[in-house]
Amino acid sequence: MTREDIVKEVNNLLAEEFEVDLELFTPDANVRDTLSLDSLSLVDLVAIIQQTYKIKIPVADLKSINTFNDLYNYIESHLS
Amino acid sequence: MKYDVIIIGGGLGGLECGYILSQAGRNVLILEQGMQPGGCIQSYRRHGLMFDTGFHYVGGLDEGQSLHAAFRFLGLLNLPWRRLDTNGFDRITIGEKDFAFAQGYGMFSKKLAEDFPRERAALSRYAKLLEESALQQFAALSPNAQESASISPQMETSAWQYLTENFHDPLLINVLSGTSLKMELRKESLPLFTFLHGNSSYIENSWRLKGDGSMIADTLIKNIQTQGGTIICNAKVEELEEKEGRLVHAICSNGERYEGTLFISDIHPDSTTRLIKQSSLVKRSFRNRLANLENTFGMFTVSLRIQPNRLRYFNWNQYIYRQPDVWDFYQDDTDINGVLISCKVPEDGNEYTQQVDILTPMSWERCKAWNNHTQVGKRDNNYKMLKEQMAEQCITLAERFLPGLRNISKYYTSTPLTWRDYTLTPGGSAYGIRKDFREPLMTVLSPCTPIPNLLLTGQNLMLHGVHGVTMTALFTCAKVLGNEYIWNKLKE
Repeated sequence: MTREDIVKEVNNLLAEEFEVDLELFTPDANVRDTLSLDSLSLVDLVAIIQQTYKIKIPVADLKSINTFNDLYNYIESHLS
Repeated sequence: MKYDVIIIGGGLGGLECGYILSQAGRNVLILEQGMQPGGCIQSYRRHGLMFDTGFHYVGGLDEGQSLHAAFRFLGLLNLPWRRLDTNGFDRITIGEKDFAFAQGYGMFSKKLAEDFPRERAALSRYAKLLEESALQQFAALSPNAQESASISPQMETSAWQYLTENFHDPLLINVLSGTSLKMELRKESLPLFTFLHGNSSYIENSWRLKGDGSMIADTLIKNIQTQGGTIICNAKVEELEEKEGRLVHAICSNGERYEGTLFISDIHPDSTTRLIKQSSLVKRSFRNRLANLENTFGMFTVSLRIQPNRLRYFNWNQYIYRQPDVWDFYQDDTDINGVLISCKVPEDGNEYTQQVDILTPMSWERCKAWNNHTQVGKRDNNYKMLKEQMAEQCITLAERFLPGLRNISKYYTSTPLTWRDYTLTPGGSAYGIRKDFREPLMTVLSPCTPIPNLLLTGQNLMLHGVHGVTMTALFTCAKVLGNEYIWNKLKE
């Protein structure tokens, strides 16, 4: 899976699941603000990533994921 | 009329929330889909005798123990509780060997150390852990408790791993797990927290009701009504209507619309989100996450009516396993390999009992064939044959402890299907959503939802059983009234 594939798939998935306009997703945009995540819906994000990519994001790692770029990087580096 | 609080579902959690909030002056309405409230603690009558569905015994009712303060607050301490045998409230037969759990953490470990002298130190450490766990559950309600403390490290630890690392004798691991039909034992998922919770309050001390579990529901209902609350049965909520980011109405199948300020759902969280047809706040991500959670197994129950003056009352719970495979026995779909036998306290002071229940786990897979097209009492012969076969096997195993049981009794049976039809629990699950130490964030649910005026309660969130549901109701109500209010009520 290329970086481009990941970006496209993640964006489509999150836009669908969180019912947010795809155009708001830019590499430097903040994930929490864009998806309106609170402590409750942050768990939904973890669940979606885990279900789709079989990647488990520990709570400690969540803190380092701020922008969409961070999220793409995380998924790319953890995809075996 | 607009209600301060509308509670969907009149199970134990819904009734407890109704009691706490109506006592705090809130105008409460409880909408119950079934013919009677009570959920998993409701009882049913057959030939003049009352039989329990999910309730058999509770723990921790003495002053200072796990359930004492909560039950005093809820007006449930004065019910006719009967203390089970202090020297062996739970007794376990594995193969040909017998073991007993004594009441009190110290006595519990001391007595088992007589059977397993080499494990004395490990048993003491385990008893201490149980005691600490009971204290931690209570302390989480303190006004000083931190929000993040709700996920205990023990929720991220495997119960099976803890047991195998701390005890050397495999038989002892089976014995310590032997009373745990009160939860779903699964090596790959059960958190240590759930295992400790399912044992700790009972080891403090254990009690049966002289009467049936619906006495708990009836007491709560009476007090809710005295405090100005309303309970409506046969009220099937079909929709929770959201407007401008808040729930405004519960709409029932008969068209009745009930307006409320706050809504609490005591039904399964997945069923709850399905009631919210249109929402700006409940996203697909939340709905899908709840829909993907798995539920624990259900129970097959043989309820026996015993001929008068034939069986002496026994003041303990008897667990019987064919083999030392307590963690796996229920996965064999062909044979019954483990049962819990519970005896009903004679209500007339007689030394003989008239009722015995035998319980064993039963998976939803075995019931699926009759899932959609059948009703209670109208299922086909294959279903009847399956129930008869299972009942016979249960009674055969129980006869190791009660010889000749089948000759002095008649029985009724219930399966997860029955349970599903009467308590409306998805899959007839006995203990709600399966907790998983690998996924504590996802399998332990908060009372909060994306909609600010919708809270959850009941056995699916954090803890199950009478103690677990009661603690959860306190947590849910603390979201409305504040931790300090609840804490002060418990300390009164």
